[in-house]
Amino acid sequence: MSVGRSRARIDAAAKLTGEARFPADRAPAGALHAFAVFTNQPHARLVSLDLEPARAAPGVVAVLGSADVAVNEYGLTMFDQPVFVGLEHTGRSPVPCDVSRWEADHLALVVAESPGAARAAAAAIEAVWAPLPVLADIDEALASDVLIHPYDGRGSNRYCSYRIRKGDMARGWAEAAVTVASVYELPYQEHAYLQPEAALAYIDAEGRVTVEVAGQWAHEDREQIAHALDLDEERVRVVYPPIGGAFGGREDMSLQIVLALAALRLHEMGVDRPVAARWSREESIVGHHKRHRGRIEARWGAAADGRITAVSNTAWLDAGAYNYTSNKVLGNCHLGQAGPYEVPNAEIDSHAVYTNSTPGGAFRGFGAPQAAFAAETQVNKLAEALGMDPVEIRRINSLRDGSVGITQTPLPAGVTLPAVIDRCAAEAAAGPSEEAPDPSGDGNGGTAPDPSGDGNSNGTGAGAFSPFLSLPGSPGALRRGRGFACALKNVGFSFGFPERCEATIVLHGDGDEPDRAELYHAGAEVGQGAHTVFAQMAAEATGVAPERIEAFWSDTATSGDSGSASASRLTFMAGNAILGAAEEAEKAWIDGARPATGRFRFVPPPTEPFDLEDGRCTPNFAYGYVAQHVELTVDTETGHIRVDRVVSAHDVGRAVNPDLVVGQIEGGVVQGHGYALSEDLRSDGGRILNPRLSAYLIPGIGDIPARVDSVVMEMADPIGPWGARGMAEMPLIPYAAAVAAAVHDATGVWFDALPLTPDRVLAALEAAQSP
Amino acid sequence: MLAPMKYAAPATVEEARALLAADGGARVFAGATDLIPQIRAGRPEPSMMIDLKRIDRLSGIARAGSTWTIGAATPTADIVAHAGFAAEFPGLAEASGLIGSDQIQNRCTWGGNLVNASPAADTPPALIVNDAKAVIASAGGERTVAAAEVATGPGATCLGADEIIVEFTLASPPPRTADAYLRLIPRTEMDIAVVGAAARVTLAPDGAVTAAAVALGAVAPTVVRVPDAEAALIGGPLTDDALEAVAQAASAACRPIDDKRGTVAYRRRVAGVLARRAVAIAADRAAADQRGASS
Repeated sequence: MSVGRSRARIDAAAKLTGEARFPADRAPAGALHAFAVFTNQPHARLVSLDLEPARAAPGVVAVLGSADVAVNEYGLTMFDQPVFVGLEHTGRSPVPCDVSRWEADHLALVVAESPGAARAAAAAIEAVWAPLPVLADIDEALASDVLIHPYDGRGSNRYCSYRIRKGDMARGWAEAAVTVASVYELPYQEHAYLQPEAALAYIDAEGRVTVEVAGQWAHEDREQIAHALDLDEERVRVVYPPIGGAFGGREDMSLQIVLALAALRLHEMGVDRPVAARWSREESIVGHHKRHRGRIEARWGAAADGRITAVSNTAWLDAGAYNYTSNKVLGNCHLGQAGPYEVPNAEIDSHAVYTNSTPGGAFRGFGAPQAAFAAETQVNKLAEALGMDPVEIRRINSLRDGSVGITQTPLPAGVTLPAVIDRCAAEAAAGPSEEAPDPSGDGNGGTAPDPSGDGNSNGTGAGAFSPFLSLPGSPGALRRGRGFACALKNVGFSFGFPERCEATIVLHGDGDEPDRAELYHAGAEVGQGAHTVFAQMAAEATGVAPERIEAFWSDTATSGDSGSASASRLTFMAGNAILGAAEEAEKAWIDGARPATGRFRFVPPPTEPFDLEDGRCTPNFAYGYVAQHVELTVDTETGHIRVDRVVSAHDVGRAVNPDLVVGQIEGGVVQGHGYALSEDLRSDGGRILNPRLSAYLIPGIGDIPARVDSVVMEMADPIGPWGARGMAEMPLIPYAAAVAAAVHDATGVWFDALPLTPDRVLAALEAAQSP
Repeated sequence: MLAPMKYAAPATVEEARALLAADGGARVFAGATDLIPQIRAGRPEPSMMIDLKRIDRLSGIARAGSTWTIGAATPTADIVAHAGFAAEFPGLAEASGLIGSDQIQNRCTWGGNLVNASPAADTPPALIVNDAKAVIASAGGERTVAAAEVATGPGATCLGADEIIVEFTLASPPPRTADAYLRLIPRTEMDIAVVGAAARVTLAPDGAVTAAAVALGAVAPTVVRVPDAEAALIGGPLTDDALEAVAQAASAACRPIDDKRGTVAYRRRVAGVLARRAVAIAADRAAADQRGASS
């Protein structure tokens, strides 16, 4: 068996030795270097623009702007963003390009002999701007008569809304013994992948405009490049070399279009030299989208027996200056508003709002973490109001097989959340399975179970809590607490989007059985281990030994469309495509073809968009399920929080590679830890104030949970390959709510805004103590 | 194009001073752990970088009689690892071991930490409670300045344009004396202090405090001594009331700013918490100190 074994990653040796060449490592000698010039204008109209001084600067080969783009627009789900802001254009895009709506809108691309020459020349560009009102956040954008995209005909900066109307709200409130109303404030989150954006572009031997870049969906990148450059898609090639992390942050364009444009225009000028570009960390943080910030107003009711009777929510997401995937993220957030529960009566409204701040977009969880923080905290508050155990209230309300979901259709078969909740609670109660690590290094142990069992006892003594190497806790100041939360997350594209995934397998051999196989697949290896899993599944599907699988990855010239590395979908979708391709290849083999080629396009069961009035639809074809338990300690004098233990239980259907599953759980928990506790992206007047990792604090090795117990359950998905479900986003989704519940258990204070930085925690604790 | 930056590695203090005096755009450096990020963040490049690490006198840790001499360019990792020094100055060793990360500590120095004059620097409060002296090479020879007098404001020092800190001197603490340093940052490492607190306490055999020093970092343009906290401690035993008085005095002594790392209210509040905890730790250590114990 190849599936089910923790085989070493096929890319491990190259990445450990440095042999792997990431996009920023690929500029050959003789390459030209490009610098993308941002407008640095959150909202302003361009009055005049002179690129000539930059063209005259030393070492400059070309300066490209709006006039050079055939169709000056792009966008993953809507063409609402100009490639370049400028005054000259071809007239082929309805998107006015004389307005900068975001500080990272592009003004020009300077191509020069060196990065320094390109950057220096950019400073010579002369632009004159007429300021427009900067609508920096949702409230300003809703209150203003100024429209950020007036040409779109919507007449409002609130440009995308969804509704759910289910049951009878009057009855829901009448049946409620308790109600809980809260407003949740959700922050931005920056992807902070290791490798800032970089790319290399050239004309390949077949004459194709070729871009080597880190992305998440090679064929979609190609489509957007071809659209803007008005080229046939076959004349554009996108190749993904090793990718230094993505997390959703590479779903939208960064350097793809502008570098393809540079290669094309240079070629037309008779300059056939590759052109390279890379963003600095600051440019990366300013220049790509974020997890949406937003607000969720929630009012829920529950009957005395714990049943949720009514959910009334309104959610607002700050889409920023351009849509990116906001309409899709909003849909997923909308779907998650009622949590993973049977809710008979609901009224839910969700809105995306254009502002002049950084675009919101895809980020691990895709709207689900925001929804889950509100929904799970609401459930925890209902449990408190009813005097009920937080696990018990979830047992009562959890979706299960046969449940009708919030969109009034049955869930896909295989709803295993009740079992996941029970298993997580059991593992939590059983305590750490082995000796806990001692983060304080003092031998007193850092994660001793709470002896009183009530989750409220103080620390176990001086040194037992060492949140920070510099700052041992004072015993009297420590409070311990425990929290619980759960979630579901769709696997694959939702809401009627044409979901598909292609694979090609070629079987070779001289004997009766194939002894070697080629696999062609475009699915992006973004660090999660997808290629290793694909190779394992190809070996399993063909019967060829894993080391005899020769793979060709992520090149639109050789692979069919895989869809994106997103929505926890690649194992599920690629696995089914690989199974189909292997079957086709085997048929060809039996028919005597040598080599025997099998091509397959997997199409899962169809999904539907929300009904505009009541939201009724079949939104998804598969889900993964997660429950989490968090134990933590709060230093009530400084506001520091130390997470001592996490139990993260997942139904993954089938763990194709168990070590990689655990890697995704631990990584997702750590990323959720940053979202919950420390990552605080500041923005003012449409500008990001802390675009560097010294001021935007992702967790370091000393900050992450002292212990993560990953619980991997394998209850097969009926249509998953070998039963596999997706699982990569799930560990992040309930984490913040579990942390907030544990902080409440420790201190008695609810936190409805993230992140729980020490200053905010201390201020809230002190406010709660004031009369 | 700008002229490329020059690099020099003089072997003597006089050579270094001569280079500095001859070129107004030159900067001396040891670890350069502040200088390089500042240049990358857009500060003008120096015309010349003068590397002080080749000068023998600027590196090393030595004790002669009751006086410790620490070269100004000694990596703080060496100070942290020096068992003899860390036994006498545990708080100063702690402060030295909190800067940046292990990698940073292999390069960064007390001299650089002090003359960079960041209000949030970790070692200055600990140097100050231990009454460290900076030996400065000047045109006319050498002068000695209390560590507390070196920084005069954010990024500003008392050093003349051609002056270099050569070394630090510290007197061995008297018996039943110890220091401590605590720093608050939102995470465990690779961050800049929101508040730092250093304390040094001397106890009489009966447990009464006979001498005390408390200094705070990151809560004012320069390090703040807290005489009211010291007065509250001296002359009596280390009671809860005395510690509470320390906390109150420390909070009151702050003149913090609001910035991305913390609000005024938060800094004020936790300055008191850290001062109280640092004093308690220093007093515990002093009570355990057996050097020269007569009772």
